Amino acid sequence: MGKGKRDLLDIDGIEVAYGHAKVLHDVSLRLDEGEMVFIVGRNGAGKTTLLKTICGLLKPTAGRIVYQGQDILGWPAESVARQGIRFVAQEKKVFADLTVKGNIELAAYASGEDVERAVNRLTELYPRFDEFLNRKAGGLSGGQREILLISRALVGDPKLLLVDEPTEGLAAIVIEEIFRILDEMKARKVSAFIVEQNLSVVSQLADRIYIMKEGKIIREIREKNQIAKTDELEGYL
Amino acid sequence: MSAKPTISESSPSGAKKGRVLLELALIAACFLVMAIFVRLYWVVDFCIFCILVLSFDLLYGYMGRLTFGHVLYYGTGGYVASLVLVHLSPNPFLAIAVGVASGTLIAVVLGSILVRLRDAPFALSNLAFNQIGFWLANAGLQDYTEGEDGLSSMAESIGFLDFTSQPVAFGFMLVCMLLVFWLLRTFTLSPYGVMVRSIKENEERVKFLGYSTYFYKWLTFVVCGSLATFAGTLYALYYGFVAPNLLNPFGNIEIIFAVLIGGAGNLFGALAGGVVFKLMSNYLATAISRWELLMGVLLLILVFRFKRGLTGYAIDLRLRISRRRAAEEA
Repeated sequence: MGKGKRDLLDIDGIEVAYGHAKVLHDVSLRLDEGEMVFIVGRNGAGKTTLLKTICGLLKPTAGRIVYQGQDILGWPAESVARQGIRFVAQEKKVFADLTVKGNIELAAYASGEDVERAVNRLTELYPRFDEFLNRKAGGLSGGQREILLISRALVGDPKLLLVDEPTEGLAAIVIEEIFRILDEMKARKVSAFIVEQNLSVVSQLADRIYIMKEGKIIREIREKNQIAKTDELEGYL
Repeated sequence: MSAKPTISESSPSGAKKGRVLLELALIAACFLVMAIFVRLYWVVDFCIFCILVLSFDLLYGYMGRLTFGHVLYYGTGGYVASLVLVHLSPNPFLAIAVGVASGTLIAVVLGSILVRLRDAPFALSNLAFNQIGFWLANAGLQDYTEGEDGLSSMAESIGFLDFTSQPVAFGFMLVCMLLVFWLLRTFTLSPYGVMVRSIKENEERVKFLGYSTYFYKWLTFVVCGSLATFAGTLYALYYGFVAPNLLNPFGNIEIIFAVLIGGAGNLFGALAGGVVFKLMSNYLATAISRWELLMGVLLLILVFRFKRGLTGYAIDLRLRISRRRAAEEA
């Protein structure tokens, strides 16, 4: 436990396999309340698998996932979500048939949050959504979808966000928007595990960084001056 | 937890309620006009078949679960209603109530197992249960079902409700069909319906929001089974005769065909598909001896040329026309 903060998530020695192929080997990491922790590594390092395991989509063959003092290992995804853990997947898939507002309302309906409040948060995060509220979400650009997905995940004030490659495949101007939103989340002390390859984003927002390689955590970076060294981090990508 | 919010785009409140009423009036008008030009007993049959197709469309078109076992409920409704009429009471409403209750019970039990599956395992497991039902009607419960000979029954007249009178039967079946349409329209426009469509789009993402998709899938399965059973009870009341053919798994192909003709995931499509399929099969059967061959060719054309069915084609056409107009005005 670090600097008097409370452990929100404690992962201890998890191992995950796809059939006979082991993809996570004895992975241990933790997250304190209000921390924004980034996971960095090459493609195939097991970063997405790790997030999917935390949110209940994959079942580890060994280890423990303790969230707020409770072992949630093996819990189905919906039960994990109900505990306040939200996953924003890499694919940027919204409910295309629903309107932007409908996407938010669906999440509000699940969490019990007031719809008005949820929609207001969305338009505060990205004022341009005011014009798009009644448009089908399927017509949004990749960046707008990502913003919608993050906003949707924030509905119901979740305790932990798992975000997979939020800036992947987006134009520089949109990445700035995403950065601004993540920065605002950080200021609000939203706890988050974020998988990200954009080191400029990582170095400016990370409280800590875990480096993954071949299904293992090979390094934890906690010193601010180390986090800022993007050229050193590049060696891990 | 705050009060259950409604999903604005889906809520059938205010103007949308008025629109649903207008739709019902339009459908009723279409069927009334059809009753003038087409043989009345055909149109009664269309109404019953449309209820069956509507119930199937909720499961397949809206929730994305293709089943080859839907006529299990249709046949169950038919047989149980007939048995009630023969052994218990000639009251048609009692026959409907007991018939629907029996099909619902089967759907409750089977649904709790089957909705855990998807794709081919779901479709084929349903087929397996349908096959069991077919065998039970044909041989296993022959003492009760009269096997291949079929089971005759007669519902008593209650006031003006006399099923031997074609106009009365038509009016009753039309009202029943409109009721089912209204029920499903309200259902699909509600937040619950949005959830079902979202499950079709991506079940995992719905789970990420904290929903237990199992419950929604199960309930949809039960609703579909109950409505198909309802159609079966109406069949028994109208024809006064049921045979194992009612449970023949080949009947599922007809329903799938009708949904594909009309366009899956659209209740108007289900109605249009049901009517077009019945019209084609009835007319073709009187003109061509091997009409199924022509239907097969038509299915191929549909699959390759009209992937979203008649309603999908109509929507696309309307879009193209409005775009062309907008371009011309610009």
